[in-house]
Amino acid sequence: MVERLSLSPASVTELARPMPMTLSAVVQHLKILEEAGLVKSEKLGRVRTCTLEIQAMTQVERWIAERKRFWDKQYDQLEAYLARTTPEGDDQK
Amino acid sequence: MTLTNATFVIERVLDAAPTRVFAAYQTLEAKSAWFKAPADIETLNRDFDFRVGGAERFHARWPGGMTTDFQAVYHDIVENERIILVYDMFHNGDKLSVSLLTIEFRAEGGKTRLIHTEQGSYLVGGEEAAKGREHGTTWHIDNLVALMEGREMKAFS
Repeated sequence: MVERLSLSPASVTELARPMPMTLSAVVQHLKILEEAGLVKSEKLGRVRTCTLEIQAMTQVERWIAERKRFWDKQYDQLEAYLARTTPEGDDQK
Repeated sequence: MTLTNATFVIERVLDAAPTRVFAAYQTLEAKSAWFKAPADIETLNRDFDFRVGGAERFHARWPGGMTTDFQAVYHDIVENERIILVYDMFHNGDKLSVSLLTIEFRAEGGKTRLIHTEQGSYLVGGEEAAKGREHGTTWHIDNLVALMEGREMKAFS
């Protein structure tokens, strides 16, 4: 999908056509890429066109991914901390 | 050096009331129990002043020699509801990002939905990014997708 977009912008339907995936799986995949800032999409009438955000790639995206991974890890630890410090009955404050 | 602005959101439902989640941020003792590095790191500086205008710092040296430095200032604190801070992140003394981080705690039954919204100005990239683009792209997409689907990322290289 990214390879296709590196050639030129394309509509969601165009992107889905050669894919061995359902349209909704393609949309889901695009959503992930969009949230990651790798793909931008714009709706004109009934057609949504996707463009690759090539400039934003590599190092900076790696760094952003690293920030996310970092916080995800911290929240795993927060969850574990909350689980091991469960109060006895004073949770309903 | 390039500049990229980006926002990301992390949502978690935590099995504890907002009062307990908020308390985990409130004192150095509680926060140190979970906000920490996994490896055997050497703490170089650790400041913690949890109030509006107060600063937090976590400056550490990792086993490989790399240093990381988290420098934050609290901008808004509403007990059991939200914390807003701005933090700079340094690797080996280089500032890699400046982020506005809003953490919201929403009660959901006896649980808490934590919403982490981070609006960042990312300062890495530039020429090196342009050079590495072609070869880095696939690695990158794989890992981002893996990351967002909750799988392990491939090694950084």
